[in-house]
Amino acid sequence: MSVEEQKLEQQPVFKASSFQQNKSTKKKNVWKGLKQIITSEKALPWPDEVVHYSSINAPPSFKPPEKFSDLSGLPAPYTDPQTRLRFANKDEYATIVDLPMDITAGYLALRGATSIVG
Amino acid sequence: MNLGKMDVFEFKDAKCNPDIIHPYTQNLKNNSVPIVIDNGSYMSRAGWSTSEAPVLQFKNIIAKPRKERSKKDTIEPIQIPQLQVGNDILNIEAVRFQLKTQFDRNVVTHFEAQEHLFDYTFTHLGIDTENSVNHPLFLTEAFLNPNTSRQLMSELLFECYGIPGVVYGIDSLLSYHYTQAKPLENALIINLGYQTCHVIPVLGNKTVFENTRRLNIGGWNVITFLHRILQLKYPAHAAAVTLSRAEELLHTICVIASDYKEEMKRWTDNEYYEKHIKKIQLPFSSASTSSALTLEQQKERKRELARRLTEINARKREERLAEDQEKLRQLLEIQEIIDFGADKDEVDNILAEYQLRNVNDLQKSILNLNMKIEKIKQKITAANNTEDLEEPPVKQAKLSKMVFENESALHSFLDNIKKMKQDILNKKLMRKQRKQDIFKRRTAAGQERMRIISQLARKEKGNDDFGMRDEDWDIYKTISKDGGDSDSDVENEKLLEFEEILRTHDPQEFDEHANLGELHQLHVGIERYRAPELIFKPYMSGSPEAGLSEVIGYVLSLFGDEDQLKLAANVVVTGGLANLKGLRERLLVDLISIRPFRSEVNVSIMGDSSLTAWYGARQFVRSGEFKKCLLTKNMFEEYGPEYFKTHVASNIYYPTPNESLIDVDV
Repeated sequence: MSVEEQKLEQQPVFKASSFQQNKSTKKKNVWKGLKQIITSEKALPWPDEVVHYSSINAPPSFKPPEKFSDLSGLPAPYTDPQTRLRFANKDEYATIVDLPMDITAGYLALRGATSIVG
Repeated sequence: MNLGKMDVFEFKDAKCNPDIIHPYTQNLKNNSVPIVIDNGSYMSRAGWSTSEAPVLQFKNIIAKPRKERSKKDTIEPIQIPQLQVGNDILNIEAVRFQLKTQFDRNVVTHFEAQEHLFDYTFTHLGIDTENSVNHPLFLTEAFLNPNTSRQLMSELLFECYGIPGVVYGIDSLLSYHYTQAKPLENALIINLGYQTCHVIPVLGNKTVFENTRRLNIGGWNVITFLHRILQLKYPAHAAAVTLSRAEELLHTICVIASDYKEEMKRWTDNEYYEKHIKKIQLPFSSASTSSALTLEQQKERKRELARRLTEINARKREERLAEDQEKLRQLLEIQEIIDFGADKDEVDNILAEYQLRNVNDLQKSILNLNMKIEKIKQKITAANNTEDLEEPPVKQAKLSKMVFENESALHSFLDNIKKMKQDILNKKLMRKQRKQDIFKRRTAAGQERMRIISQLARKEKGNDDFGMRDEDWDIYKTISKDGGDSDSDVENEKLLEFEEILRTHDPQEFDEHANLGELHQLHVGIERYRAPELIFKPYMSGSPEAGLSEVIGYVLSLFGDEDQLKLAANVVVTGGLANLKGLRERLLVDLISIRPFRSEVNVSIMGDSSLTAWYGARQFVRSGEFKKCLLTKNMFEEYGPEYFKTHVASNIYYPTPNESLIDVDV
């Protein structure tokens, strides 16, 4: 009760007090995310010429990705087989060897290379 | 050189200023002046169509503290934590985990948050009319905003705020069409936003929706990328490198390289590195340094504490002694009374008063007390003696400088210590190397280990005499992970001791560590180029999408040769990231490389790119178009909640195909 009362007090005067959106769903505070909106939109029988939010996504890259050192960002011809980190020269390798697990994992996650397959 | 110091850059850590509630003049109120809101995924800019500049500018975020889960039996009213909106949030980092935005990528989906932000906007614009906001509204929305989102937005505006009408428009198109004196009718608009980047072709003043492409990467991704690289580079300062600071770095020192690979090559040169590196000072407190600085002081403090403790103990003992002596005196008095021969009742009374049962008890207590007093007295004398003993510093001898006959003796002593220290360090290094080698194939150590293991595993019946000798078991040590022996505590202790000796006798050696300011510096070099490069190389963060230049090339390839020429001749960049240094040059270089030889290529950047959308929208409202395109409340009720009116800078209207919806005749 007190929650409701206080909420009403805070309401600015210019708002219609009766208004409550999202009344269809019983649970409050549940809003469809963008992904959900897109999928439910896609499911509808649209005419052919319609352009959607989801139809203007950028194409995948057609160029092979270049390899850069995870540490410095320099072009990296080498990969450390143990940590899977890329490095540019022997100084960087020396640092890689000393890096704790969480840092190496952090670098891999940053590059999105955490999957075992890739 | 003094120059080195001048180069150090410090974080401004700009804080927001809370917005004031702006005056709601009679003029605004009576003429129902339109309100213009550029509702961007990073910031919202709001103002009147008559104002010179947006009255309000705030980040589109709210901080909603979690409700304290209070117990049911508490009588006190539940404290509702204060909701903070936009510029109310003075320090974003303090509430980082409670932040919410109405946006999912660049689309508004969370309308509860949107409602809070509209409340904030309208309140601070000063509106005080009851039950409605009596001003038509211009609102920007995402490119190809899904109908669902627009429908909910219209519902919110009409039903909650009771606005008379609304016009929706796309920010980048507004900047292009309405802030330039004479916009060309063909353009390739590149909008670099906070969540997304768009490449929008416009031919003959018409937006070509089907050939527009959106990169799902934006300023936010660049900021988090930079934030993470710096955190990983400086794990010790991970907490000090905040997202707001990364954002500041992006806008102050980040540059887009016109040729990323060339730039990287330059950075491998040490001289170039030294010259172009940006040093950034993190705040640090020198107070914490004092403890590290003087071991002497620390020890002194410890001794002081110990002394105080003994003092307290002594005082307590004395108090107890005095108490006991007093009690003894009283008991002895009673004894005396009894001895004098008082009558029985009186004796019983007195005894009861002291909680004693009979005369025997009394005598026992007296005896006990005597013994106790004796003990305490002994303790006090003992404590006094030990205090005297403790006083002479025991450990000081170790630290104080040893006296040497001459310089050379000192030197040889120090050299010796250094050598011993180095030996230990070498040993450690060797061990580490071995440990690594052991797990690699094709190293001598690894192969030897495998050989031993396979020998151990071999089963030979009959003649298994393993374990007969104690040395046999050592073999497990050699194949263990540590490869024989591990770093022992003894060694570590020795190392510390040597370091201490060196510190006392040869303080210069450790001078480099003394400058704490330098330890709290970030050196940002390649990262200045690496972070914004993410827009051109999304694969750097694992995204499969094509980079900006590639997408531009792709969009151009969707057109015929003639149209390609028209588009490439007028490439216009807007959005928050458009101000990045080097962007124009880079786009030009990349475009020339994909365009036919000597064909016309022009790239221009719209000035003050983060506000152009608002100015464009205001210009639109001021023009005659606004009245024609206004979606009024009547239309909203008649044509359905997702209906809106289109114009040159808007999305297209596609009614959602649904049997239950009444077909709309436009």
